[in-house]
Parts: sequence; structure tokens; C-alpha cells
Amino acid sequence: MAVDTLATSLEAATVVRISRDEPAWLQALRNSWWRRVEADPWPTGSEEEWRRTKLDGLPRDGALLTEPPLASYQIDPALADRGVVFTDMATAVREHPDLVSAHLGLRDTIPAQASFWARSLAAWTGGTFLYVPSGVEVDEPLIAHTMLPDGSYTYLPHTLVVLELGARATLLEEVSSPDGAAAWFGATADLQVGAEARLRYANLQRLGDSVWRIGAQRTEVGQDADAVTLNAEIGSLVSKMGLDLRMSGKGGTSKLLGLLAAGGTQMIDINSCQDLLGSHTTSDLLYLSALYDAAHAAFYGVTRVRPEAKQTSSYQECRNLLLSPKAGAEPIPVLEIETNDILRCGHGATAGAIDPVQRFYAQSRGLSADEAEQMIVRGFFERVVAQIDSEPIKARILDALAARIGLAELADEVAA
Amino acid sequence: MTTGFAAGLRTSDVAPGTVVPVVVEGRPLCVGRTLDGRWGAIDDICTHDGGDLGDGELDGNAVECPRHGGRFDLFTGRVLALPPVIPVNAYPVHLEGDAVVVELP
Amino acid sequence: MALPNPALDKVPTGYKYGWNDPEMKSLHVMKKGLSAQVVEEISRIKGEPQWMTDLRLKAYRHFEARPMPTWGGDMSQIDFQDIYYYVTATDKAVQSWDDVPDYIRRTYDRLGIPEAEKKYLAGVGGQYDSEVVYHNIRADLEKLGVIFLGTDEALTKYPEIFKEYFGTVIPANDNKLAALNTAVWSGGSFIYVPKGVHVELPLQAYFRINTENMGQFERTLIIADEGSSVHYVEGCTAPAYTTASLHSAVVEIIVKKGARVRYTTIQNWSHNVYNLVTKRAVAYEDAVMEWVDGNLGSHLTMKYPSIYLLGERAHGEVLSIAFAGSDQHQDAGGKVIHAAPNTTSLITSKSISQGTGRTSYRGLIKVYPGCHGAKSTVRCDALILSDEARSDTYPYMEIDEEDVTIGHEATVSKVGSEQLFYLMSRGMSEAEAAAMIVNGFIEPIVKELPMEYAVEMNRLIQLQMEGAVG
Repeated sequence: MAVDTLATSLEAATVVRISRDEPAWLQALRNSWWRRVEADPWPTGSEEEWRRTKLDGLPRDGALLTEPPLASYQIDPALADRGVVFTDMATAVREHPDLVSAHLGLRDTIPAQASFWARSLAAWTGGTFLYVPSGVEVDEPLIAHTMLPDGSYTYLPHTLVVLELGARATLLEEVSSPDGAAAWFGATADLQVGAEARLRYANLQRLGDSVWRIGAQRTEVGQDADAVTLNAEIGSLVSKMGLDLRMSGKGGTSKLLGLLAAGGTQMIDINSCQDLLGSHTTSDLLYLSALYDAAHAAFYGVTRVRPEAKQTSSYQECRNLLLSPKAGAEPIPVLEIETNDILRCGHGATAGAIDPVQRFYAQSRGLSADEAEQMIVRGFFERVVAQIDSEPIKARILDALAARIGLAELADEVAA
Repeated sequence: MTTGFAAGLRTSDVAPGTVVPVVVEGRPLCVGRTLDGRWGAIDDICTHDGGDLGDGELDGNAVECPRHGGRFDLFTGRVLALPPVIPVNAYPVHLEGDAVVVELP
Repeated sequence: MALPNPALDKVPTGYKYGWNDPEMKSLHVMKKGLSAQVVEEISRIKGEPQWMTDLRLKAYRHFEARPMPTWGGDMSQIDFQDIYYYVTATDKAVQSWDDVPDYIRRTYDRLGIPEAEKKYLAGVGGQYDSEVVYHNIRADLEKLGVIFLGTDEALTKYPEIFKEYFGTVIPANDNKLAALNTAVWSGGSFIYVPKGVHVELPLQAYFRINTENMGQFERTLIIADEGSSVHYVEGCTAPAYTTASLHSAVVEIIVKKGARVRYTTIQNWSHNVYNLVTKRAVAYEDAVMEWVDGNLGSHLTMKYPSIYLLGERAHGEVLSIAFAGSDQHQDAGGKVIHAAPNTTSLITSKSISQGTGRTSYRGLIKVYPGCHGAKSTVRCDALILSDEARSDTYPYMEIDEEDVTIGHEATVSKVGSEQLFYLMSRGMSEAEAAAMIVNGFIEPIVKELPMEYAVEMNRLIQLQMEGAVG
């Protein structure tokens, strides 16, 4: 890869500058992560996770966005009184330093995304902080929607979500940006789901058509906890996302869901690692993609069951609909199973066109070719869409999908 | 309808039994001269891994890719040995004096 | 039990396959290690044409230049200089029955292997005495125009056809081990089946009287001309003992329009062997290629039989069984490259790991643009029989054409305690019950094996199960 030790506009001085007015503990934390970046700034390109997406074209010259537009973080005052904190990271550092310092930047992620994780922990200037104390259940979905400006910049927000024992919350982070300018959006998210807690986390990306998104999402699921994450990839030119999922306590369950709808010359490349360390845990993955024009999707997912994890259950699935001659997919679900005491373990991957029988059937009902295709794609996505509990979140995701799939009907579904 | 373009090579630049990489009118090519004095040219790309053939060897009329041994016919572009399966384009070559001229579409 | 010293076994005179000339024997000094001189000497002793000597030397240069692969099994213990690259028939007869490991001798007894065959399998005897059987088969094949020889002999007897195809499916520089094989190959089978000829009897390696049947660097080339069909079988379910610790064979197969080839291998090398093989076939229009691959032995096997579907409606199948006991790693699978429209493929892999064994499925389905109508199904199932065993699946897919149907499914499971309980309640011991379940697991592939292999396979599994459960 051409990148090796080539500079970015981001340097040690940048980190010093942005942390000038921050508390000492945070300056120290940023510096130690920056040293990690310097030690190992980029993947080599020969790692399995990086073979299919070259970083040569990554826009590296943009200045760091130090005054990012913030989402409006609305929270019911009654919940705030009970100790729920839902705000941007900078505000959280100022108003709840103890909470942030107890949970921020304490863990590393999988090697494939390590350098990007480190970069964002050193140079974050935005991102969401959600903290839910023990036993508190936040029923209403929390939504953080950021609209990024036009321009060539580098933006590396870090989101930190901490659910204590028995807490519950649902969060959607949505980001959009205009078409045209090449920018580097390197958002990372650290989701800590405590024992018996329940998290629903959705990430909806509607970035502009020249943006490179290099993301990392780390989810740690505690004993008997339950986490569902959903990544909806609609925009960007190149989107490389690393999912690090650890079932570290006994008896937790998790589901990683994904919806990808890409066109033009987009490349969406997802790598995931589901690490089952605790016994009686369940972790499933379902990533669905619809690829138009000359878009490509790659998926390299590893399910790892450790020797000490008994009676685990996992199924990893990646299905790709190819909707034009130049679209392509490379789904590679990998299993590394180190014990025989498993309840269920498997994976499946498919790639191909719409079944001509399905198409014929739809058209024989009077739909045009386009309408038939749109309806079938919508039906294809239903397996994931049906698992979105929250109606407002489902609506926003369907709205984003409609833009890509081109379905008037989707808009009706949203309105209904 | 092809037109001849000077490859920027003289006959002395290509030893018999070798290929030389050269870019002609923006097209990366491998120009080769067999031991028995025939000249040919193919695209400088191995359709197996997308890399170039440039440093490869010429064995008879077979241009051999240095990375995995795939072979292409210097005169037709046909695949003569796996792992590539897709042929490359071939272009006629003639000499004008000692200048090598490649006919491109 | 002591047997006569096999070094005293007489090597037949007038040996057809070239290089047991007593004069040459006395000139040749056996030594370890690889160099350009060793490569040249091998070629000279075989009396090869210059083009083959040149190709061997070129391949040797590629072998030296190429690094070892960084993926797959652990090959760090292989010392290329600690290997004999040229072994004659008499050199091979130096092994004595006393050297044959206990576990192998016991397996022979339990499987009821006849005495003469035991010696042959253990590399102790001079050669398996199937001369009469062989001659009759040979006559039938000649009548059909089928060529079936050792590769060494085919080079000199059929040079044009040999040169036309040799190295076109797996070139010398394809990978490090293929380069090694191209430099030092010896033995293997050459088969040519003429147009429209159907060879009914499966051709087996030991039909050629050639003590290189278990050669380290075999090179096999099979050409099935248009509309023909042939089934080739190599190996044996009973364990084969050899002191040679590196086996690196290359098999190239060309299946022309409308032809059909099945290549069955059952490998059960002793547990000191590194078995690193490159096997590849090309299938043209309406052709069918089937690899049936059983990996039971060796310390490490890395083998991915491949099929390049180059003509419309060509079909490729890989049926793979892998069994890894303690201290074994079977890294196997299959690759299919769809390079023409309306091609189809099926890969079925069944693997079993027990003790501290490890099985890995590694495969690739690649569809080039323009190959519309391609259909492929890959099904990998793994059974893990013990706590410390391990199973991995690495299924690669590169799909660059829209109008296709490509799917892959895999499961990993253990022998269910309810299943076991049910069978034991019918009066079976735990080992018998486990064996039955495992045999049921691999049945879809075993039923494709020639009868005698299938029977032996089932008995072998039974034996393995006695160590597995409890």
C-alpha cells in the first residue's frame, strides 16, 4: 500500500492543540493513543481485512474539523435527573469528567482497525456520550443526527456508550454530508453493555459521494446482556467498517445487523470479528447488501469460539443482491472454532441476481420492471428491517434506503 | 483500422528472445522479439492478478508472467498456461528502419 | 515379527521404466539436499530431452527465489536441505519392518490387510505383485488406444503430446511447492484417453509396476480427449509408512469438450509427513471434472483441488473428506474458477477433528465478469469430537458477474449426546455409536468411493473412534 509512513495533515501538534484547554487526564490519554498511532500508523495492506480495499486514495490532507456541527441531544429531564447523560463528548468531559474518565479509551480493538481506533482516540473532536446508570431504562429512542458541512476535512468523532447493570437504551447515530468534496470521516464507537443490560444501537451513514469513511465499532457484551447493533451504509465513496464484538460474560446475546445499498462506483468493505469468550452466549450476524451500477461489497467476517466457551450459538450470514452487470461482491464468512461443546454454529453467504421467477411473478402482477425490482429489493431487506424495534429509527432508515433504491412506495411506508 | 505508432524503441533495445515494457499512446505494452526474429506486442497486463508482465520472459512465442508463470501468446494474446484465463489484446508490430512501430486501433 | 532383510529383495532385470540400470546404480551416490547440480543429475540419469532439463533448472531458480507461503499450516519445521531428492527403487527398499511404527502395524492387523500388501504399504517390500492382473488390464487399454504409463516413460515415448500439455495447467512458477515439484519430479501417471473412449475400469496407480507409487514428487498428467471418460484412483485408506517426510505432488488434468474425468485420492500418510500438493484441472465446453479427495493421514496436508471452468456448461465438483487426529492438521478444500457462461460447481466438504487435531476448509469460488448463468453451491460441515480439537472455515468468494447464483453454507457441530444415548440404548458401545454417527456424517462422500475403499474407510473410522470417545 502506498500509504506506509506518508503524513496526514494530522500530527502530534494537532493533538496538543485540540487538548490545550482540556483536563490533564484527557491530555495524557490522547497522547498515549497518539504514540500508538506513531508506532503503527497504517495497515500494511496484506492483512486479510485490507486486501480488498486500497487506502491509496484516502483524502489525507484535509484539516481536522475542530469545531464540528453538533447534533442536538434531547433528553427527557426526568431521565437526566436519574443520572442519564446524553450529550456530545466535549460537553460530557466538562460536565461529567468522572464518568468519562472511568470509561473512555481504556480498551483496544481488533488489529485490523487498531491504528484508526488509536487515531480517533487521540484526535476526536466530536461524537456522542451516552451513560445510563444501573437499573435505569430509557424507553424512548435517543437520536443524534449530525449534518456535516461541505469541504475537504478530516473528522474523527468518538462515541462512547456505557450501560450499567440492568440498564436499557436505544440510540441512533445518523450522519449526512453533501456530495462533492473529498473528506475523511473516521468515526469510532465504543459500546459497553454491562451485565443484564440491553442496548439497541443503530448507525446510519448518508455521507457524500466523495467521502471516505473508515470506521470502527467495538461492542462488549457483559453477562446475560443483550445487544443489537445495526449499520446502514447508504453513502460515501469508500466505506471501510470494522466490527469488533466480544461476548465476554456468560449468557449474553448479540446480533449484528447490516443494510448496505450502494451504487455508482462505491466500495463498501466490512470486516467483523465475533469473539465468543463466555459460555452459553449467542452471537448472530446478518448483513444484506443490494448493489447497483458498478458498486462492490466485500465482507470478511470471523466467528471465533474460544476453547473455554461452552454451549455457544452463532450464525453468520452475508447475502448480496447484484443488480447490474458491473456490480460485484466478495462475501467471506470465516469460522475458527476451538471447542466441540457448541450448541449451534454455522454461516452462510450468497451472491447473485434476483431470482428470475420472483421477477416474473412481480411483473405479471402489473408492475413495471423497475417497480418489480424495487419491491423485491425491499422484500430482500425485510429480514433486517423487521428486527428494528423502534418505529422512528425504522422510518429514518427506510427513508435513507428509499433514496438509494428509488422507491416511491418506501416513502409511503415511512409516512404511514 | 489501425495506425502505426512509434514505440520509442530501436531494434537494438530489444534483444532476441526477450520482451520489453513500453507505453505507447498511453497504452502499457510488452513488445517482444522472438529468437527467430519475429516481432509482436501485447497489453502489459496479466489478467490473473492485474499486475504487469513487463519483467517477464519470452519463451518461444510465450510471454511468461513473472509472478505465477501464466503465459500469453505474443502474437495472438491467447492464454497458453494458467492461472490467467482471460486473453490479452495483441497488436501487430513492424519495423521502419530500426524503429519499432506498433499498430494500434 | 522379523522379516527377511528387504535389501536382499531382487530387483527385476529388464525393468521397463528406465532407470534401474545396474551400471548407473553403482555410479549414483545418494545424498541429501537440493542444488542445481542435483536437478541436472536427476534429469541426466533419466535421460531426458534438453527442454525438460532446462525447465527443471528454471523451476529450481523459481523455487529458490520464492518465499514460503505465510498462510495455511505450520511449515516452519521443513528443512529442504534435509531431504533426499532422488531415490531409486533399491534405495527405497532399505526400510525394514522393525522401523514401521506400532500404530501402523496395529492398524494393518485390525483392518485385516494381507501380508504382502502390508509390506508394500510400509515401503518394506520390493513391489506389489500384481503383474498378472496388470498385464490383462494393459492389453484391454491398448486395444482402446488409451495411453497409461509412468510419467517418466511418457516423456520419452510421447514427447509431442507431453510437451503440448505439461506445465500448461500448473506452470513452474505457480507456487513454491509446484516449482519444487517441477524441478525434481519423478514418477506419477500419464494418461491419454482418445476421443469418445470410455474407460470403464477405474485406473489405479499400482497398475503401473513402479516403485515410485508412493513417490515424494510425483507428477501426474491426464488428458481426456473430446467425449471420453476415465476414473483415476490413487492412494489407500490403510496407513502408508514412509521415512520421506515431504510429499509434494503436482497433478494436471485437461478435460476436453464433452469429456468426463473423476480423480479419487485417499491419502493416509504416516504422521511424520508434510503433504503439500497442487492439483488443478481445466474443463472445456460441456465437460465434467470431479475431484474426490480423502485426507486421513500426514502431519500437515495443504491441498486445494481446483477446477477452471473454461467452456460453456462445464461442471466441476469437489468432494472432500478430512480427518485430523492429535498432532494432525488437514488444511484442505477446493477452488472453482467460473470463466465461461452457464457453468456450474459444487463443493462438499466434510471434516472431522478429534484429540488435538485441526481441520481447516479453505476454498475459493471466483466468477469472472461475463460468466452469466453461473451457479455454485459450497457446503462445508465440520464435526468436532473433542474439547481440544479445532475446526476453521475460510470460504473465499469473488463474484464479478450479476446474473449468477452463488451460495455457501457451513455448520460446525459435535456428536449430540442425545444421538449417542439413543444408539447406546439400542445396545451399542459408546465407540460403536460414535462410529456410526461419524460414518453417517461422511456417507454422502464415501458413497462416491470405489467399494473396497468405502469398506476400509468405515472400518478405519471405527478404529479411530475407539480412541475418540470417553
